[in-house]
Amino acid sequence: MLLKLPLIIVAVFGLFMLVQFFVEAPFLDHTYQEILDWVQIIYLFTLWVGAINLIKLHLKKSTHKKEAPYSVVTLSGIVIMLFFGLIQGKEVGSVFDWIFKNVQVSLQASMFSLLAFFVASAAYRGFRARSTEALVLLSVAAIVMLGRVPIGDLISGLIPDFANWILNFPSMAARRGILIGIGLGTVATALRVLLGIERTYLGR
Amino acid sequence: MQMIMPDSILLLTFNANRLNVLVALLICGALVAYFIWKGRRGGLYLRPISGLSAIDEAVGRATEMGKPVLYTTGLGKMERVATIASMNILGNVARKVASYGTPLIIPCYDPVVMAVAQEVVKESFAREGKPEAYRSDNIYYVTQSQFGYAAAVDGVMVREKPAANLFLGTFEAESLILAETGNSIGAIQIAGTDSTIQLSFFIVACDYTLIGEELFAASGYLSGDPKVTGSIKAQDWLKVLITVLIGIGVILSTANLNFWQNLFGPK
Amino acid sequence: MKRQYIYLLILAALTIPLFLPLGLKHQVTDEVEKFYQTIEDLPPGSTVMVSFDFEASTIAETKPLAQAVLRHLFSRRISVVSLSMLAEGTGLGHSFLKEVADEFGRKYGADYVFLGFRPQYQATILGLGEDFAKVFPQDYLRNNLSDLSLTQKVRNYEGISLIISVADGDLPQYWVDYAQTRFQKPVAAAVTAVMATSYYPYLSSGQFSGLVGGLKGAAEYETLLGKAGLGSKGMEAQSLGHLMIIALIIIGNLAHLRTRKKI
Repeated sequence: MLLKLPLIIVAVFGLFMLVQFFVEAPFLDHTYQEILDWVQIIYLFTLWVGAINLIKLHLKKSTHKKEAPYSVVTLSGIVIMLFFGLIQGKEVGSVFDWIFKNVQVSLQASMFSLLAFFVASAAYRGFRARSTEALVLLSVAAIVMLGRVPIGDLISGLIPDFANWILNFPSMAARRGILIGIGLGTVATALRVLLGIERTYLGR
Repeated sequence: MQMIMPDSILLLTFNANRLNVLVALLICGALVAYFIWKGRRGGLYLRPISGLSAIDEAVGRATEMGKPVLYTTGLGKMERVATIASMNILGNVARKVASYGTPLIIPCYDPVVMAVAQEVVKESFAREGKPEAYRSDNIYYVTQSQFGYAAAVDGVMVREKPAANLFLGTFEAESLILAETGNSIGAIQIAGTDSTIQLSFFIVACDYTLIGEELFAASGYLSGDPKVTGSIKAQDWLKVLITVLIGIGVILSTANLNFWQNLFGPK
Repeated sequence: MKRQYIYLLILAALTIPLFLPLGLKHQVTDEVEKFYQTIEDLPPGSTVMVSFDFEASTIAETKPLAQAVLRHLFSRRISVVSLSMLAEGTGLGHSFLKEVADEFGRKYGADYVFLGFRPQYQATILGLGEDFAKVFPQDYLRNNLSDLSLTQKVRNYEGISLIISVADGDLPQYWVDYAQTRFQKPVAAAVTAVMATSYYPYLSSGQFSGLVGGLKGAAEYETLLGKAGLGSKGMEAQSLGHLMIIALIIIGNLAHLRTRKKI
């Protein structure tokens, strides 16, 4: 029964969502809205699961010599943000807002900016003309890179046009092919979930 | 108790604008059901996927080196197909890891994904007869911030130096940050995602990449369940059908006949 | 070449133009022109929904994008109902919105409203189609939606002429899947460069009414608005960055050729 209950819940609600997509009726709309509200409520509880797991893990790790500094920083971050968030709120000008804008935004922007360096090192290592196909790939990559910045236009007006053509035709054709495959995979998986064949989401 | 039922409550109207979606869904459903039925009778073949044999190699290498295996399902939540597929592959990886006694680290982006991953790994360890070797602390929630997550996973890579990194699931701009950090520590890296734009980054920085649908197929291949294999076979036939429909569309549109195109467009 | 040298070269290429502007001109692409024209075609007094679907990390790209789009909307006297699908985009979205609204002297509650953040974007997007006040009984500043003149007038997608997602991930796709498919609302997207290419199919299929991608898109938009901003400045750094990567690819291949000849 313990296994069957979630499968029944999935089948009933899944079928309901399917029916209400095609059929219009006031009571279907109302039930649908209720379900959406419950999805949000339940999801908030799962965030608690995550937060508790995180705190438990780092409390444990804070006693290990090697991991302790990282865990102390994590736990302090949680306590500080919770403290200021609860006593002062998160409005513009609050300590919470100040820490968010001056610490979190800066740290995260630094992580994102690493992409510039990693793109360069990956391109340096990966774009080698080992075969004719690889030569075509790297030439096209260079043209698209030039075409996407104003310098490409300065060199020749044809470069941005060619770069746009590459993006709009060969590249898009390939991407659409992959997207169609992914779409079909999604439909097939959804049907498997509805039929109770796919049970991975239950950890089985 | 008296229930007041307005007349309108029982008024059901079919949304004719979605007829084309319904027809497509019925065709998909019929084909999937047929191939699941056929799969149960046996005899369906799926070609081996090269990235999968690389997973065996990667786990073996980690065992030889006495280093852990790092597994991430990326930023996808549990309802994402790529995450479901990734969980199927995780079950298989966890069984191998359990049999070799290699540590498996899984930092998670979503608490629900964490709970499911814990269950999947726990069950795999139990199936291998090593439930005592299962460590729930190695599968943990990190954050729901994209680059906060990337920083945490990079940190694990730099500190724990895993011999194998498996990036299977949904990834966004953090894909290259993860793959390049993994590359810098010399780990063998296998990636698979349905995020089309990230595929190019993974292809450049990883040793093997499962492209889009290959990720779903790999999960079906590994599950060994004929019903799952059947549904994957159905996808292939649906692709054939779509290719034919596109072909007809191209010919008719070239001849300036747009009725075919209108059948499929939004109403 | 060692990784560290590559990183140093890239750092130099990216920082020099920030101090020594090159004065490059930007050619406006069709997708940005289409985005711009979609807003131009809206009658004054229309309401547009702007969703700040990004995290703090991508602020370098998303801020110029958001600013350019908001400047255009406010300059045309279009009202804005705004929100964020990601917790981190909430504070940032609100400050970008306030900054640009103040620039144009627009009033909170009458010309623009910021709803705030709700988790579970599918449910939020679908719920907004029924009633804003059900998903957000109060806005970000804790006003009741029923007390604000804009949300008294516009209660769900029916009063919204266009949805714009300023994003660094796959959220524009969710707006198409749920708001467009179900409520037939036009959707346009302003996204980071790394995500832009994945959205071209949506543009050509007509599911997007326009696409502005990365700093390049922001710089082009600023050109259309006739006011250079963060996008134009950042684009010069990006131009040299691209040139440096091409140079590195050439150096890498020359080194590869040399080692092959030796073998």
